[in-house]
Amino acid sequence: MRDMKMEGVSISIFRKAACMTAAVSMFAFAVGAADDDMNKSAFNKDPYPSTYEPRPSADYTLIQNATVLTGTGEQLDNASILIEKGKIKAVGQNIEAPAGAIVVDASGKWVTPGIIDVHSHLGAWGNPGGALLYDGNEMVRPVTADVWVEHSLWMQEPGYARALEGGVTTLQILPGSGNLIGGRGVTLKNVYSTTREGMKFPGAPYSLKMACGENPKRFYGTRGGPSTRMGNQAGYRKAWIKAQSYKESWDEYEADVVAGKEDAKKPTRDLELDTLAGVLSGEILVHNHCYRADEMATMINMSKEFGYKISTFHHAVEAYKIKDLLKDEEICSAMWADWWGFKMEAFDGIEENVPMVAKAGACAIVHSDDDLGIQRLNQEAAKAWADGKRAGIDFTKGEVMTWITLNAAKAIGVADQTGSLEEGKMADVVVWNGDPFNSYTLTDKVYIDGALMFDRANPDTLRQGDFETGYVTKGAHQ
Amino acid sequence: MKTLKKYCVAASCFIAVATSPLTADTVAITGGTVHTLGSAGTLENATVLIKDGIIKEVGTRVSVPADAIVINAKGQVVAPGFMHPDSILGLSEVSAVAHTNAHDASDSIFGAAFDVKYGLNYRSIVIADNRRNGITHAVSNPSGADGMFLGSGVFVSLNSAPDMAIGKGPMVMDLSEGGNRSVAWARLRRILDDVKDYKRNRSAVQKGKGRTDYLLTAINMDALIPVVEGKQILAMRVDSEVDIRQALVLKADYGLDLVLIGASEAWRVAEELVAADVAVVIDPQDNLPRSFDVVWASRSNAAKLKAAGVKFAIAPAGAGGNHTAAGNIAQVAAMAVAHGLDWETAMQAITVVPADIFGLEGYGALEAGNVANIAVWDGDPLQVTSNTTHVLVDGKDMPLVSRRTMLRDKYMNR
Repeated sequence: MRDMKMEGVSISIFRKAACMTAAVSMFAFAVGAADDDMNKSAFNKDPYPSTYEPRPSADYTLIQNATVLTGTGEQLDNASILIEKGKIKAVGQNIEAPAGAIVVDASGKWVTPGIIDVHSHLGAWGNPGGALLYDGNEMVRPVTADVWVEHSLWMQEPGYARALEGGVTTLQILPGSGNLIGGRGVTLKNVYSTTREGMKFPGAPYSLKMACGENPKRFYGTRGGPSTRMGNQAGYRKAWIKAQSYKESWDEYEADVVAGKEDAKKPTRDLELDTLAGVLSGEILVHNHCYRADEMATMINMSKEFGYKISTFHHAVEAYKIKDLLKDEEICSAMWADWWGFKMEAFDGIEENVPMVAKAGACAIVHSDDDLGIQRLNQEAAKAWADGKRAGIDFTKGEVMTWITLNAAKAIGVADQTGSLEEGKMADVVVWNGDPFNSYTLTDKVYIDGALMFDRANPDTLRQGDFETGYVTKGAHQ
Repeated sequence: MKTLKKYCVAASCFIAVATSPLTADTVAITGGTVHTLGSAGTLENATVLIKDGIIKEVGTRVSVPADAIVINAKGQVVAPGFMHPDSILGLSEVSAVAHTNAHDASDSIFGAAFDVKYGLNYRSIVIADNRRNGITHAVSNPSGADGMFLGSGVFVSLNSAPDMAIGKGPMVMDLSEGGNRSVAWARLRRILDDVKDYKRNRSAVQKGKGRTDYLLTAINMDALIPVVEGKQILAMRVDSEVDIRQALVLKADYGLDLVLIGASEAWRVAEELVAADVAVVIDPQDNLPRSFDVVWASRSNAAKLKAAGVKFAIAPAGAGGNHTAAGNIAQVAAMAVAHGLDWETAMQAITVVPADIFGLEGYGALEAGNVANIAVWDGDPLQVTSNTTHVLVDGKDMPLVSRRTMLRDKYMNR
């Protein structure tokens, strides 16, 4: 949505410069640090705060007569969704339209939560491409925990609007996988914004991108190492050892300040270790690119060695080999439906990976890692579902929908706010013109925080990135 | 049984000797909804009768011989096997494992003279996996060389047998390898002029008495003679409207038999493509300005080409679409349908049309006389939720087993 009117709205939001959320602190010791001394001692943990604000929406929107997949695993037939001031108010049958409500008749249509992609590089590797817009991977040394991918984002990226048309309302942007530790990821609301902060999901935790296996060793093998998997492992461990000691020094300092010690010595800040210490204190979620079962198991051991939690293994093409371990460790697997075999560590990828992981009771997610795939995560989930069915593992459509909604929200730490159609959550909602798992189905309407951000019937809602302006007519890509 | 097959395609003929036994049995696929994708259209409760790997009869009143192997397709959908029009099937196993790749002639003396048929690996496990997803044959193409001519592709059967090569494919070239737009077109024209001159003076040149300032070496110019004679299709990778127009002028100037691959902006030049009788291979996923050359990439490329009368095949490009994820050919064809293309044309664009535009005779519609490359589906073949129940190559009902299904079974109940 990028007509002049909408841009005007965005600008007014930025002028307010309102911080939508309490500062996100990175270290446990700083959480809730309310007294003045603490504030003096701590550094600003949220120097680039979200300025996102929901776009204008009706007080009430009632979408009725729809087949609803709630995102929690349920399917409700002939049901309604009531949105009140940007939040889900009610889901179910026999919901009356409040006075003045916008009523959307969704007869024959399907309604789902907004789709969430936990693995995107949109804006980090920008279209129209080329080295000048390729900002996704700081491949200058194996550990670059100091970089934040949000500082690479190209806000004109046309892929954001394409993903919105595919129903994506929330996405996590990650740095690339060339480094052992690639830097911080960021979670975005999929709205048009001329600033990065304007897309940042208020209150969403930061993430840390780590990468196993072939990519780091291939790149650094001729650049001073690591050149082997054991070299990779040593590289992570050395980084965590430094991070532990860094965190301890800050913990000691904080304790000294609290104890009123006059000679409390403030440690020197280290941007790289800030992020790693944030992981150790549980504030930053680990998203670990890792294909092979043996490497995932090793990463789990390492997380215990240093006392952190892995949120999600990304790509995880061999997750099916350790599905019970992943369930026991409560680690999500973000997987493709059918990308496999392009490198040695992807060679054992199978079509039934997602359904086998889900069947085991582990957290299964379908992700894209691709600016085309992100536009059709519903189809990718459908593919995995059908592959499972052929192998004798079936799921309801309601369950399949969790792979691209609630499970994804859990993985990136926003499940209390979005990812399902439940009372009180953000009204991130997609109306599809049919069954979302049918290949001919397209989105009809996409709402973010209750605001109608895309309406296929209304070309005025089409968003065009600035780059495309003057090159093509709006909507030519459809 | 040993079958001798002889295929003549464009300038060259070659003979493939089948060393694996083709079935001599008669096979009947009965009771299904048969999409012939040919003039007979769609037939309900129809039979496809196959003998010696060739379709004998398709219809609703076909009598099935008593000794026929019967595949009961009641309640199922029968359609031609998919033909991928721009793959590397048989030419790669793991793209990041260098020695398993045979589709790139970079750092060799070969450009136009590169011919991937010698590198085909019929044991590739990727073949069985794609066959399971409905692909029965393909064009396998070279992907790179030192220069704009990448060499000749090969038609392949996904039979997992030593005789998988079933004909010589197009000469492939990539304009973007030729330098900037001005340089690339000038270079291309100079090369074609060179080849014409070389052809006239070939014996003198071979004796060391001809020109010595040709841009290409003699072996690479030899390979281009069929192209300048219009006897081998030139498959040009090109996307931009600007370059497509240049390509059409080039075709007229040199009398080329031209097919364009990529063609993201083809819909902008649809009328000119029709007038020049040039077919294209497109990816309906394209809708992002990946470069300044494809700012008009559109999901409705296919529907608009159809409306204008341009002949087109569909191929999933990028991200394994020509290899490990080639089975997504159906998904991207469905994407064209979701954006305005009719279903029948979408199906033809991944079956009949690729064979037609690249000149692979005897493959395509479910019609008598065609090779029995057929898939039976549990639903609409274009739906991502549909699966094959049988895939026949040369009339042989192939097992729907691959290394990946074996891995699956190994870990299913662990």
